[in-house]
Amino acid sequence: MKKCITLMLALAAVVVFILPAFCQEDITEIKDPAFQTLKRPAVPFMHDEHNEKAGLDGCLPCHHEGMENGEFVEGDPAKCADCHEVAPTDDSTDLKTAYHQQCIQCHEDAAKGPVACGECHVK
Amino acid sequence: MYHSIYDLVTGPLTWLGFGVLVLGGLFRMVSLYSLAKKKDASSIAYNKAKYGIRSILHWITPFGTLGWKENPVITVVTFVFHICLLATPIFLGAHIDLWDLNFGVSWPALPDHVADIMTVLVIAAGCFFAYRRVVDKTVAFVTTWKDWFALCVTMGPFITGFLAYHQIFNYQFMIVLHVITGIAWLLFIPFGRLSHAILGWYSRVYIASEFQGVRHAKDW
Ligand code: HEC
Ligand code: HEC
Ligand code: HEC
Ligand code: HEC
Ligand code: HEM
Repeated sequence: MKKCITLMLALAAVVVFILPAFCQEDITEIKDPAFQTLKRPAVPFMHDEHNEKAGLDGCLPCHHEGMENGEFVEGDPAKCADCHEVAPTDDSTDLKTAYHQQCIQCHEDAAKGPVACGECHVK
Repeated sequence: MYHSIYDLVTGPLTWLGFGVLVLGGLFRMVSLYSLAKKKDASSIAYNKAKYGIRSILHWITPFGTLGWKENPVITVVTFVFHICLLATPIFLGAHIDLWDLNFGVSWPALPDHVADIMTVLVIAAGCFFAYRRVVDKTVAFVTTWKDWFALCVTMGPFITGFLAYHQIFNYQFMIVLHVITGIAWLLFIPFGRLSHAILGWYSRVYIASEFQGVRHAKDW
C-alpha cells in the first residue's frame, strides 16, 4: 500500500512538473501573441530540430540583448516581443521585421531554408 | 536549385524589369516627342498644358465625358479594372514588406483581404474584356493577336499572385511564375499595346489642344 502511494505520488510529480517542462521546451511553431490577430498562418518552427539541422551551435545568431557596431550582443533567450514592439514609435526594429530579417537573411546567406512568404506561413 | 532560381528572378531579373520600365519608358516618351516635333511642328505649336490638363481631368473622371456616358457598363468595368490594376501591386502588403526588407522604405498597405478582392476584380474585368473581344462583332473585327497578348501579360501576375497567396498548386513554382509574369508586365509597359499607359496622355493633349485651342470646342 505504502509502495503504491509513493509510486502514485511519483507519477503525479512527473505529470505536474516534468511533462509541462518538456512541452514548454519543445517550440514547434511561432505564433506570437503580441500580434493579437494574425494576418498570416503561424510559422512551423521546430526550435531544437531546426538548429541542429542548420548546424547552429550557439544561441547568438538569434538570441541577443542589443547591438554594438552592427553586431548582436549575446543575451539570454527571451521572447522577441519583450524588446521588439509591433508598432514602435522610434526607429527601432519592429517585431515583424525582427522575425523576417533574422529568419530570411540567414536562409538567403545559407541558400537553404524558406525565403518566400508562403514557404513559412504555410496554410 | 530553387534558391538560385528564386534569387535570379527576384534579383537581377527584377532589376531588369524596373530598368526597362523606367529607361524604356523615358526613351519612348522622348523619341516620340522629338518625332512629333520634327514631323508635326505646326500642330505641336498649338499644344497648351492648360487644354491638356483640363481634358485629362475630364477623361479620368468616371462619366466625365460623353464617351464615358455612352456605355455605362464598359465605363464602370474600365475604371474598376485600371484602379485595381495599379493600386493592388503598389499597395500590397507583401510587396511593401519586400521593399522594406531590401531597401528600408515602406508606405501604408492595403489589408490583405481587400487586396485579394481587388485582385479578383482585375481578373473578372479581364474576363469581361476577353468575352467582349469574342462576342461583340465590332470589337472582334478590330481585335488582333496584339490585344490578346497585352491582355495575357496584364492578367498574368494577378492570376499567379492570387494562386500563390492562397497556396493553390505548388507554392514555390507559383511564386517564381508570379515574379516572372510580374517582370513581363514591367518589361512590356513601354512597348506595344500597353504603352498607352505612358504615351496615351500625348494623344489627349494633342486632341485637347486642337479642339479647345483651334476649334473652340470641348473634347469630352
Ligand atoms: C534560429 C534561431 C534560434 C537559435 C539559433 C536559437 N533560438 Fe531559441 N528561440 C528562437 C525563437 C524564434 C524563439 C521564440 C521566441 C519568442 O517566442 O518570442 C526562441 C525561444 C527560445 C526559448 C523560449 C524563450 C521564452 O522566454 O519563451 C528558449 C529557452 C530558447 N529559445 C533557448 C535557446 C538556446 C539555449 C539556444 C542555443 C543553444 C537557442 N535558443 C538557439 C530562435 C532561436
Ligand atoms: C533583450 C532585448 C531583445 C530581445 C529579447 C530581442 N532583441 Fe532583437 N534587438 C534588440 C536591440 C536593442 C536591437 C537594436 C535596436 C533595433 O534595431 O531595434 C535589436 C535588433 C534586432 C534586429 C535588427 C538587426 C539589424 O541588423 O539591424 C533584428 C533582426 C532582431 N533584433 C531580431 C530579433 C529576434 C528575431 C528576436 C527573438 C528571437 C529578438 N530580436 C529578441 C533587443 C532585443
Ligand atoms: C543563423 C541561420 C538561420 C536562422 C537565423 C534561421 N534559420 Fe531556418 N534554417 C537555416 C538553415 C541552414 C536551414 C536548412 C537546414 C537544412 O535543410 O539543411 C533552415 C531551415 C529552415 C526551415 C525548413 C526546415 C526543414 O526541416 O526543412 C524552416 C521552416 C526554417 N528554417 C524556419 C526558420 C524561422 C521561422 C526562422 C526565424 C525564427 C529561422 N528559420 C531562422 C538557418 C537559419
Ligand atoms: C523565413 C520565414 C518567413 C518568411 C519567408 C516570411 N515570414 Fe512572415 N513571419 C515569420 C515569423 C516567424 C513571424 C512571426 C509569426 C507569428 O507570430 O505568427 C512572421 C510574422 C508575419 C506577420 C505578422 C503576424 C501576422 O500574421 O499578422 C505578417 C503580416 C507576415 N509575417 C507576412 C509575411 C509576408 C507578406 C511575407 C512575404 C513577403 C513573409 N511574411 C515572409 C516568418 C516568415
Ligand atoms: C517584379 C517583381 C515582383 C515580386 C518580387 C512580387 C512578389 C510577390 C509576393 C512575394 C507576393 C505574395 C505571395 C504570397 O502572399 O504568398 C505577391 C502577390 C501578388 N502580387 Fe506580386 N510581385 C512582383 C510583381 C508584381 C506585379 C508587376 C504585379 C501586378 C501587376 C503583382 C501583383 C500581385 C498580386 C495581385 C498578388 C496577390 C494578391 C492577393 O491575391 O492577395 N506582382 N507578389
